[in-house]
Formats: sequence, structure tokens, C-alpha cells
Amino acid sequence: MATEEKKKELLEKLKNAVIQYDEDTAKEAANEVLSVGMEPNDAIFNGLVSGMVEVGRMFEAQEYFVPELLMCADALYAGLDILKPHVTQLDLGVKGSVVIGTVEGDVHDIGKNIVKMMFDVAGFTVYDLGRDVPLDKFVQEQLRTDSDLVCLSAMMTTTMTGMKKVIDDLRTKNPNVKIMIGGAPVSQDVAEKYGADGYAKDATNALKDAINMVASLKKMKDEVEAKKKK
Amino acid sequence: MKDELRHEQLSMGAKVIGVAALRGYMSGELAHLNIAISIGVDRRLNEDTLSQLMKLQKRAVRFLKSRGYRTLAIPPDSDRQKGTFISKLYSLFTHKMAATSAGIGWIGKNGLLISPDYGPRLSLVTVLTDAPLEPDWPMERSLCGDCTLCVQYCPSQAITGAEWSRSSPFVELVKLSVCRSHKATKRATDGKPNCGLCINICPYGRRESDSQNAEEKKPALKRCY
Repeated sequence: MATEEKKKELLEKLKNAVIQYDEDTAKEAANEVLSVGMEPNDAIFNGLVSGMVEVGRMFEAQEYFVPELLMCADALYAGLDILKPHVTQLDLGVKGSVVIGTVEGDVHDIGKNIVKMMFDVAGFTVYDLGRDVPLDKFVQEQLRTDSDLVCLSAMMTTTMTGMKKVIDDLRTKNPNVKIMIGGAPVSQDVAEKYGADGYAKDATNALKDAINMVASLKKMKDEVEAKKKK
Repeated sequence: MKDELRHEQLSMGAKVIGVAALRGYMSGELAHLNIAISIGVDRRLNEDTLSQLMKLQKRAVRFLKSRGYRTLAIPPDSDRQKGTFISKLYSLFTHKMAATSAGIGWIGKNGLLISPDYGPRLSLVTVLTDAPLEPDWPMERSLCGDCTLCVQYCPSQAITGAEWSRSSPFVELVKLSVCRSHKATKRATDGKPNCGLCINICPYGRRESDSQNAEEKKPALKRCY
């Protein structure tokens, strides 16, 4: 087993590799984690993800811009790809599945992919429909997979309106599903007007909101089932 | 700092290196990385140019990062890099743009970067950064002069013969679809599409051993300068 000191050193190395968008170091550190027998889960959350959280802060503070953010995400994935096959169980308290995609007419998927990454990391089962997704496809996929959550992304005001249609369709078919929307033109106002359950301005917030939503959804289901039993 | 970087790169096998100041020319996402370092190696058959370029690029990135600057390395084969987040941004910037802006060469009639010493036989890699490196003089216009060898020798007549200059960057130099459909009919030994006559024929940087004609072409070449 690795000593506490070594663990700390490796966590710091992973974190800095993500912040410094250094893919090579991220891979190197991830392999070291495995070779010293450290818990991969620990390495992902307290190393890679805590690096990404810091990156998120720097992005908000306008110290980092889009290219840095993307390169940091690449570094995170470089480490994650090595660690993930060795993860025995992820425990965030909640597990869920999510259907995610960029709506029809819109090919911008960088933001969507970053949100997807956060779900991946958190151990959600992700059904990624990609970009320019026909509106019906979201509803079909949700019904097929019985996902807890549907995430819609749009980067243009012209395609944003498609989200309203998806939300309405989903609500009539499955009132329980939670829906989150995001993208440059989206705001809290838009989310309320369209009837979405959540709106996230960036990936970290999306993940937090998503976990809360899935938790409340699970609670609702439990309550319903408890009532039935009575 | 620039001299140090230059020496390190040249000692590791780079043939040319230049710095371009691109303030005001970068698209929004890259606006803060407005210095481009262009590094070139001469392309030889049967040598792994790609891995050499990657090695040089990584070294340059380390050099700048260790001094606290930001970098965005655009790999030599940026068009083939897919699947990473950052690869979406590679298309915002071209190696040739970096090279001409850094004074390494101009865009020849054949649409390729031509350097005075190596002709079109350079492979390039670009590192964008915010490090305050002193820029080199950009190349403003083509030095192809009256030479039309590539136009004459192009088997698909794809080269229009127009001349590049920085002030009119959108002139069609090569009919790309014509070039591509011709290339598709020619296969190299490894099965990939191949042609390259416009590279081979260019008198700039052509080695003596390549052809006996080279000697005859040289006087004309000197006048072009």
C-alpha cells in the first residue's frame, strides 16, 4: 500500500496536471496511482476532479479562457481513461442515468461534452445523442432508457426554441423526468419559461444540480412506493 | 528568452523557427494567445518527420510553461486529430499563416509554404502563446516571381498561377477539388493518395542531386529574390 505522503503527492500531481493542461503528466500520474495500489476513486475525485474544480474557478475569474478549459478537460480525460477501468465502485450517494445532446440545427457541442464529462466522472450512465439531434429522438431515447434526467444544450437563439418542444413532449409522455437545459443563450428566465427543472451556466453547476435533481426524484419515487405499500 | 528558445530548438533538429505577432488577427477564443511560434523541419522521405515535430513541439511547450506562460500547441497533423476537446479549435488557425507571419516564407503558386532555403520541403508545427517574444518581420508577398514550373508540371492543371500576397489572402491559388481528384488516382507504395510533383519541381531549396536541371534553374531563381 502507498504511504499517506505518496498519496498526497500523487493527488497533487494529478490536480496540477489538469490545471496545467499537461496530458503527459496526467497519464504518468494515473499510471503511478495504479502501480502503487492507490484507490482509483480517490485519485479521480481528489486529484483530477479537484483540479477541474479549480479550473472552473479560474475560468469564471477570467484567468483561463476557452482553449485552456478545453485542454484541461483533455488532460482530465487522459487520466480518467487510465483510471476508470480499475474503479470498483463509485459512490456519490446517488447514481443515475442521463440522456444528453445538442438540439436539432445546432452543431455546437463543446459545452455539452464538458457537461457529459462531469457526468461520466460522477459515475452516471450517459446516453450521448451527440449534436444536431432531431427533437423526437430525445423523447424516444428517454423512454427507451428510462433515464432520470434529460439534458438539452443549444448555443444559438434560433435553435434554443427547439428545447421548448422537447420539454413539452417529455412532460406529456413522462411527467417524472427531470430536465436540464444549458448553453450560451439560456438563462434562468428561459428555463422557467420553458418549464425546465434546472438550468446550469457551467459544467460544475450542471453536475451539482443534476445530483440534487436525481436525489429528489429518487426520493419522490420512494415516497410513492412507500404509499403503495401502505 | 527568444534566443534561448531558438537555440534549443535548432540544436534539437529544427531547421527554421520564427515568431509572429498576431494581436488583433486572432479569432475570439484565441485572442489572448497572440504570439505564434512557427517551427519547421525539412521533410525527407523515410524519416519520421511527424514524431520529430512532436518532440520539438513538446520541448517548446515545456520551455514556455516552465517560465509561466500559456501555450496552445497545434499538432502537425491537426486535421487528423479528432476526439479531443481542443481539436475543435485547431481549425481556427493554420500552420501556413503562422509561418508567413513569422517571416519563414511565403505561399507559393502551388499553395504551399515556400522558404528561401528549403522551398516547399518544410513540415510545420505551431505553438501559440502569450509569452512576450520579439516578433520577426512577416513576409508580405510571394517571391515566386516569373517562375511557373509548378503550374506547367501539375498533371491536373490545378494550379491557377495567381500570386499570393498578404494583402489579398483569398485569391484561389490551387483548385483544390481538381488536385484532390487527381491525387486520388495516384497511390504511393503505402496505398495513400500521393502526387507531390509541385513540391518536387520547385527550384527553391532543391538539392543538386535531385536533378541536373537544378543548376540551370538557379540563375533565374537568384533574380527572383
